[in-house]
Amino acid sequence: MSYRVFFALTSAVALSACGLNSVPTAEENAKARWADVQNNYQRRADLIPNLVATVKAAGAQEKSILVEVTQARASASQVKISGADLTDPAKVAAYEQAQSGVTLSLQRLQEAYPELKSQGNYTTLMSQLEGTENRIVIARKDYNDAVQAYNTRIRTFPDAIGAKVFYGAKPMVPFQATTPGAETAPTVNFGNAS
Amino acid sequence: MLAGCGSSAPARPAAPAGYDFPALSGRVVDAANLLPASSRTTITQELAALEQRTGHQFVVVTVPGLGGHTIEDYGVTLGRTWGIGRKGVNDGVLLVVAPVERKVRIEVGYGLERALRDEEARTIIDSAILPAFRARDFPRGIAAGVDGVIREISPSERLAA
Repeated sequence: MSYRVFFALTSAVALSACGLNSVPTAEENAKARWADVQNNYQRRADLIPNLVATVKAAGAQEKSILVEVTQARASASQVKISGADLTDPAKVAAYEQAQSGVTLSLQRLQEAYPELKSQGNYTTLMSQLEGTENRIVIARKDYNDAVQAYNTRIRTFPDAIGAKVFYGAKPMVPFQATTPGAETAPTVNFGNAS
Repeated sequence: MLAGCGSSAPARPAAPAGYDFPALSGRVVDAANLLPASSRTTITQELAALEQRTGHQFVVVTVPGLGGHTIEDYGVTLGRTWGIGRKGVNDGVLLVVAPVERKVRIEVGYGLERALRDEEARTIIDSAILPAFRARDFPRGIAAGVDGVIREISPSERLAA
């Protein structure tokens, strides 16, 4: 009788080192880092209407790039990803592609209005945008590190036991820097088949 | 049977591979040798007073090279490695100067981003630091940058401004 209690207690202690706690902890950590990534992309999306308005208010010639930026923002905001989707490479890739469409269009907007560089509001928004892009890079790196830690944990002994037996844990998908060839793509496909 | 399940928590490495960081020797780490001893002392006193007043840690660092990294990446990684700012508050600030690469950056912890916004950091760099740097006057530029940052992150001076 008391042997059984003893065995139950010792195996509970021993099992706790087999990924019972560390696997979900690592998973939650990766999900939290993903939330940071999304928040920073959201922050960028929030800046875009202001930016477009500022360009128009500055009396600059209206160019098609303004429409493109707005469209890229709109289609990117429709691609949402939850923590549970992070094991699905296709969903992560779709999100990444939508956001890099925004990145590209913003770069082209900047190139399209060199004359606005020293204009007060525009400079302010551009430095906010630049700061946001930096935060995105950091958040993405932190997420990737967390994913790597999680993936390593669920695949290596001893945590792999708990990960497989108790959680059926699947590896998460790291966030690629850019879609292959995205930097060289001259036009952006907004996914609306136009 | 399960005795092999010893917990093996990997500790976070001190400095990531590929980064050559100077040692955190004080509030002013002048690894690129841009500052005379007198301005080092003055700035150190200002930064110590700032921490006493507000709790915010602000470190000035000049580096002889970025080792091929962007200054944004270098700054963040350095700030994290050194652990500038209070844990949980995340209120550290770094002023990084890389004269060889001609780069300056103000790195702000999450906790101070509202006090020192991107555009404010940009203004400090553009209007206080760079004019002096262009005249090769690094001590004046760094001192002006330090004053600008302190003004932004000190609550009382912010109200007065």
